[in-house]
Amino acid sequence: TYLNDFWEKGRSDGEEQSGEQQQPRASPARPSFGKKQLPSIPKNAVPITKPASPAAMAQLANGTHASYGPFYLEYSLLAEFTLVIKQKLPGIYVQPSYKSALMWFGVIFIRHGLYQDGVFKFTVYIPDNYPDGECPRVVFDIPVFHPLVDPVSGELDVRRAFTKWRRNHNHIWQVLMYARTVFYKINTMEPLNPEAAVLYDKDVQLFKSKVVDSVKLCNSHLFDQPKMDDPYAISFSSWNPAIHDEAKERMFTHKRRPEDHQKGLQVSGLSWVKPGSTQPFSRDDNPPLS
Amino acid sequence: MMMASMVANGNRDGRQGEALVLKGVDPETCMIVFKNHWAQVVKILEKHDPLRSNTSSNMAALGVIGLSSGGPMRFGGPIPGDEASAVQNYVEHILFLLMEEDAGQAGAMGPILEFVVMENVMERLFLWSLRRQFTDDMKLEQLKMYEMIVGQARQPLLHHKPVLRPLMMLLSSCSGTAGPEVEAELVSLLNQLCCVLAKDQSVLELFFHTSEDQGAANFLIFSLLIPFIHREGLVGQQARDALLLIMSLSAENQRVAQHIAENTYFCPVLATGLSGLYSSLPTKLEVPGEEWHCLHREDWLQMPTLVQFLNSLEFCNAVIQVAHPNIRDQLVSYIYNGFLVPVLAPALHKPTLEEVMTTTAYLDLFVRSVSEPVLLQTFLSFILLHPHRHTLPGNVHILDTLVSRIDTPFQLGTVSLALFQTLIGLYCEDVMLQLILRYLIPCNHMMLSQRRVVKERDFYSVSAAKILALTPSCCSPEHSPPPLRQLDSILWSKGTDNSPNTGTMETEETFLEEDGSCYSCVIGSEIYLDVNYLHYLYNARLGISSCTRACQVWSAPYDGEDPPPEEGRQAQTTTDPAPTNQLELEWDDSYDAGPVVSLEAATAESSRPPQLPAAEPPKHIQEMRRTAIMLVKGSYIEESDFQDDVMVYDLVAKKDARDTVTKGSKEVKAHVADHNSNLQSPSAEVGDDLMGQYEELIRTLGSDEAGTGGSSPVKTVDKEFRNPVVTPMEEDEVDFSSFSMDTPELEKPHSSLFGTKLRSGSTRSHSVPFTGPFVSVLLSRLENMLDNSLHVNLLLTGILAQLAAYPQPLLQSFLLNTNMVFQPSVRSLYQVLASLKNQIEQQASTKKDFPKLITSAQHCLLARENSRECSPLEAGRMMKSSPPPQPKTISLARTEVFATVLFTEFLKELAAIAQEHSILSHVPMEE
Repeated sequence: TYLNDFWEKGRSDGEEQSGEQQQPRASPARPSFGKKQLPSIPKNAVPITKPASPAAMAQLANGTHASYGPFYLEYSLLAEFTLVIKQKLPGIYVQPSYKSALMWFGVIFIRHGLYQDGVFKFTVYIPDNYPDGECPRVVFDIPVFHPLVDPVSGELDVRRAFTKWRRNHNHIWQVLMYARTVFYKINTMEPLNPEAAVLYDKDVQLFKSKVVDSVKLCNSHLFDQPKMDDPYAISFSSWNPAIHDEAKERMFTHKRRPEDHQKGLQVSGLSWVKPGSTQPFSRDDNPPLS
Repeated sequence: MMMASMVANGNRDGRQGEALVLKGVDPETCMIVFKNHWAQVVKILEKHDPLRSNTSSNMAALGVIGLSSGGPMRFGGPIPGDEASAVQNYVEHILFLLMEEDAGQAGAMGPILEFVVMENVMERLFLWSLRRQFTDDMKLEQLKMYEMIVGQARQPLLHHKPVLRPLMMLLSSCSGTAGPEVEAELVSLLNQLCCVLAKDQSVLELFFHTSEDQGAANFLIFSLLIPFIHREGLVGQQARDALLLIMSLSAENQRVAQHIAENTYFCPVLATGLSGLYSSLPTKLEVPGEEWHCLHREDWLQMPTLVQFLNSLEFCNAVIQVAHPNIRDQLVSYIYNGFLVPVLAPALHKPTLEEVMTTTAYLDLFVRSVSEPVLLQTFLSFILLHPHRHTLPGNVHILDTLVSRIDTPFQLGTVSLALFQTLIGLYCEDVMLQLILRYLIPCNHMMLSQRRVVKERDFYSVSAAKILALTPSCCSPEHSPPPLRQLDSILWSKGTDNSPNTGTMETEETFLEEDGSCYSCVIGSEIYLDVNYLHYLYNARLGISSCTRACQVWSAPYDGEDPPPEEGRQAQTTTDPAPTNQLELEWDDSYDAGPVVSLEAATAESSRPPQLPAAEPPKHIQEMRRTAIMLVKGSYIEESDFQDDVMVYDLVAKKDARDTVTKGSKEVKAHVADHNSNLQSPSAEVGDDLMGQYEELIRTLGSDEAGTGGSSPVKTVDKEFRNPVVTPMEEDEVDFSSFSMDTPELEKPHSSLFGTKLRSGSTRSHSVPFTGPFVSVLLSRLENMLDNSLHVNLLLTGILAQLAAYPQPLLQSFLLNTNMVFQPSVRSLYQVLASLKNQIEQQASTKKDFPKLITSAQHCLLARENSRECSPLEAGRMMKSSPPPQPKTISLARTEVFATVLFTEFLKELAAIAQEHSILSHVPMEE
């Protein structure tokens, strides 16, 4: 996926777990299942019991088999992710974590306004009873100085925009969109960071300089190791021509048109239908048969 | 002596020895030797030559003068054997020297070759061989001689007319009447010449020119190959390879293309040859068992006639692939009009079940064997659009008939299903349009309010959940004991914000052992997952991806908006102008009771509207028929110009040998020359013109021969031209009367058997929702799943899964969207599945041992599955056509038990497809 072209993933080779190749993950770069044998559960893990999650229970109540519940969740999140890709949100990139479909890593680039040049890494946490639970949470790695961002935890107040998470109406891309908007349109109502809110309303110059400091701080930590130890965590490194030039090259020459890729593939469909027609063999270039 | 045996046996090792001897010998010496030998040869030649001086005249002049010298020959009698063999020996040395000569500077001729050209050596040698008994042995010798010098000369020889022309004469004289050995050698040489042509197109021009001033074929080597197109074995293969070389030549050379398309019978011979070969296929297959439903490779390899047919079909495919568009278009047209319509269409409507089943299996095999899109299109448009008029007023397409046969309770039904599996697997828009989509485009099958739902995606796998919820209680994954229960657990981890070690990694065993606290974030660790389901997901992903990729060439997305529903309605009317518009193609139940000719059909037959105005078949069809008849008898003779040259040469040889020269020969030559000037006229005219000229030729040339009682080849050929002798074919073989536009008489009384039946009232207005006969037939067979045999169910579910993998929202929403509200009269897949679940639950509750039987059946199917090598695509499915499973404790006759197991698997398959659709169909195609 193109995400992988943008960043070198925080994949540390020492942690490549071969056994996990078989596990379905919420990653778009999911490898094929291969022989599709799941690793067996560790023996001592079995006795540990925990009540089934509300999600599973709910699905059971719907009359479906619990066995498939996780698949539904997995695919729901995959569907959300494909929607995000489709939206092509400006300056926002996300990547589901390797370990869980419920946790996505993201980064947002602010291109103008008060927060211009800010590069903020964040994590999206999706409730496990998705889509029937609360709205997903967005937590910045470093608490950005912003009225709606908790100065301690770094969590963005998303809930004010999605008071009730409604399936089919609300999607994760909207949350991401919201996370971007707050940096362009400052709202100081019921702030998580009262200091920022007050400054913005009373002394915008000081607010601005605090923002500049905050942006500087965030950007100075850009090349830090990812907060989360996950192969798919987003990590930045300074430009290294040996690695990045080639990737950049590939990005710019990347053919978007699928036809270019499909040439020479054996599987290809057939059509002699003229566009706009619903008659078979209506195209003009059909050889005459009689 | 060594040389003599070398040429006679075509032994090349002998040459090697000689080559060593020649090494180091300077060219001048070679030239001297050459001239010496030639002088000896000339001495003998002239001794027996009617005209002693003529060394530089060309063959044409020789022929004319020779023939016109009139009166009894002054020299005569057979040529003494010692003289013949002396010539032979000298010639072999001469040729050897020629072969070994290097080209001169800057590509100029070497001195020996120059001499050969100047002195017309090759032509004189050819004439010499004509003058002697021109037997097969003689021809063989000459052919081998040319094969050797063409193949091994170090300088190009064919560029020189004095070399090329006698070669052409030789080739002409070898065609037609020769024995198998000569034929084999002839084809081998022709193949070699084609290779030369393919490498060096400049020779091509010469081939044409030489032909012209000889009055021989425009492109003789091509024409000579045609009779061998359908030949079995090596000769046929060599001929086809050679022809293919010329075909690829034609793609770049307009002249070659034009000549082949306009002046030869290449295309009709190819196409009608298919008809001929088809007629020798068994009309009834002996099928190995009830489970059998299509011709696999191992099946047809056992049938030589079928192998031969497929070879020819493959050749057609190859020609279409490489040939010039003109030839390609002509060929597909002939295949359509000369094979599919007159032969295959009637064969698909034969009177007995077995015959029809056999034809269907053949058709399936043919469609699978063809790869070239244009040829495939020809087959498909035959299936989709060819109207077969019989029982009904209006048009019933082959497709409709085939669809109606799915519902036969016999093997015909299964074989028909297999054909549709092939068709659907082509990812062809036209097929899918005719089969299903055109019925869905108007969106009549759903409630008006549902139209916007068509494109909606199922974000939360609701449809998958609903489908899986139909799993019969006796088959729920929790109930199956190992090893059938391939259950395992996936630890579902949840990301938490405060712990860096959140994820519970399955493989991090040590970590799990050490720190139990991490389980706090594991959800549902005790939920078993059906691992088997992963296989279905994987397969679904592969299936949908390749289908989606393939459908990128389609003209429209079929999403309920494009094509617009209104247009779809129009389309339905225009497609079926007759009141058969909304034919309900359902199987006539009366059929089960045995062959009954329905009254309805009889009346329909009698009141059949007059045939299309084509009272007389088009000219090309007529011609084709004639050619085909000759071809089938293995005595193909092209009525093209070169043929009379063959005759002339043959006559020359004969007459020469008998020392008789007729007076008319000058006129003959004139005729031939005349004829050449007409060469540019279209072939049809040439044909008629030719016959006149031809007869005259016979008259003038053959008149005094009649007295001698010799059998002239011309006579034989002539007879064949006028009265094509064809041994009567067996009744049920294809008769060529079917080339006419009329439906063969034979079919009429029976055809209703496999026809379609009009529902009373016969028309449905557009407003009545109908998803088409195909869907209707499929679902009705699925409804009987519990009574169907295992292999029928495998085919049925396979086809439905194939359809479900198509990405078009119209199809997807109809088959998989369980939330969609359809019109009350429309039966959906989900409804059928739900009713099946109820039937199964009922069975399970009334039969005590049902769970046990289920387990046995699962074991049985698992064993069957494991006994075969699964390709990744098939991995998840219990697939078709494996050897019959060894039932351990359960008989396959317990169809309801096997169906129950299969039903459960089918639900998973469908659910997996639905789930993959929810993510795949919406991702822009990348990587």
